[in-house]
Amino acid sequence: MSSLYDRLGGEGAVNAAVELFYRKVLADGRIAHFFDGVDMEEQIAKQKAFLTMAFGGPNNYTGADMRKAHKRLVERGLNDSHVDAVIENLNYTLRDLGVPEKEVKEVADLANSVRDDVLNR
Amino acid sequence: MTLIRREGRAVDVAPGETVLEALLRVGIDAPHSCRAGNCQSCMHRAIDGAPPPESQSGLTDAQKAMGYFLPCICRPTTPLTILRPDDLGVSLEAVVQAIDSLSDDIVRLRIEAEGFAYRPGQFIELSAGEDLRRHYSLASHPEEDPFLEMHIRLHQDGRMSRHLAETLQPGDKVHVAGPSGSCFYEGVNVDQPMLLIGAGTGLAPIYGVLRDALHKGHRGPIRLYHGARSRKGLYLSDELQALSDARDNVNYRPCAFDPSAPHGGDVAATALEAEQSVSEAAIFLCGGENLVKRLKRELFMRGASLKNIRSDAFTPAR
Repeated sequence: MSSLYDRLGGEGAVNAAVELFYRKVLADGRIAHFFDGVDMEEQIAKQKAFLTMAFGGPNNYTGADMRKAHKRLVERGLNDSHVDAVIENLNYTLRDLGVPEKEVKEVADLANSVRDDVLNR
Repeated sequence: MTLIRREGRAVDVAPGETVLEALLRVGIDAPHSCRAGNCQSCMHRAIDGAPPPESQSGLTDAQKAMGYFLPCICRPTTPLTILRPDDLGVSLEAVVQAIDSLSDDIVRLRIEAEGFAYRPGQFIELSAGEDLRRHYSLASHPEEDPFLEMHIRLHQDGRMSRHLAETLQPGDKVHVAGPSGSCFYEGVNVDQPMLLIGAGTGLAPIYGVLRDALHKGHRGPIRLYHGARSRKGLYLSDELQALSDARDNVNYRPCAFDPSAPHGGDVAATALEAEQSVSEAAIFLCGGENLVKRLKRELFMRGASLKNIRSDAFTPAR
C-alpha cells in the first residue's frame, strides 16, 4: 500500500490545497488575528511546509522547531481551541478537494500529533 | 567538491552535501527551518553561476529569473557566488544626468550607470555620500533609456530630500547597488489581464512595469490605478492619459483624495470595487506598507493567487 503522501497526490496536492487552506484560516475569526501583520509570502511558504508534514510528505521538522516557531503565539494566548480550528479548516479544505474521509482522518491525526509541541507543553 | 562564495568567504560543498549543510558545517549561522525546500527560510540569491533548477522549486518566475534558490535542497555541481536575500551586493559609480520636478514635492532623478543590468520595476540602493543611502524603484527601461530613472518624494526634513533639492547637480557622482525586488514583468502571459495599483511615488515601478509590458507586446487588458493625496500629486497623468487613449488595452484610473468622489478618491477602495474578478490577473502593487498589505490580503481573499501578486512596499527611511 502506497504512503499517505502518494495517495493524496504528493507535492501537487500540497500546491492545490495551500492557498484554499490559507484563505479559510484568514477568514476564520477564531484564528485570523494570529496572522495580522505577517508577511503573506513567508506565511504561505510556512503553510506549505505544514501541509507537507500533515500529508505525510518529506520534512525534517523536529519538536524543537515546532516549539520555537509557536512560542510567541502561545504567549499571546494560542491554545487547544485554536489548534482545533486549524485542523477543522484543514478538514474542510481536503473535503473541498474531494479527498476521501479515510485520508482526511489520517491527515488530521498527523496534524494532531504535533499539538503538544505547537502548544509548548 | 564544488566551491561556493558567500560574503567573500569560500566554502567547499562536498559531493551529496547541500549548500545549507556546508554553510552550517563551517560555522556560518545561516537561517533555516524545514530543511526540505518548503518553508523558504533559508533562501539565498546566486549572483554568479546557475543554481540547479530543482533548488528553485516553489519560487516565483521573478525569483527564479533573479537567481534565488533554496540552499537546503541545493546540491550544486558548478561554482556559485551567493548572497543573503537582502544583500544588494557591491555598488557601482553613476553620474547624475538630470533632476527635474514632477509635482510640488516629487522629483525625477535620472542617473547614468553604465552596464547596470536591471528590470523595470526593480529597486536599487542609491548612495549619495557616506551614510546617506535610500532604496528607489526604477521607472526607466534598459532598452529604451540611456539612464536610470527614479521618482522621489521630497520630505521637508529628509536628509536625502534636502541633498537632492539643494546640493546635488548634474555631473555629480553617486553610487548604485542592486538591483533587487521581484516587482517586474516576468511570468506574465501576454494575453493575461494586468492589474497595476500604485500610490504616490509607487507609480515609478508601476510605470516601469507598464512600459516593459508594452515593450514586450503585452496584448491583454492593463488597468492602472494611481492614487495621490491631491490632484497635484497625480504626476505623469498627461503621459498616462495619452497612452490610455492611444491603446485599446490600457486603462488609466487616477484617484486623488476628494470627499465628493466615490470612496473619497481612495485608490484601494476604488480599485477593489472595480476589480471583482481577479483570479486570472497578474497583479502589481506598489506604495506604502499599509496600502500594499491591505490590497494583497483583499485580492488574495477574492481568489488571486499569491504567485500572481507582485508587490513592493515602501518603508520610510530611518
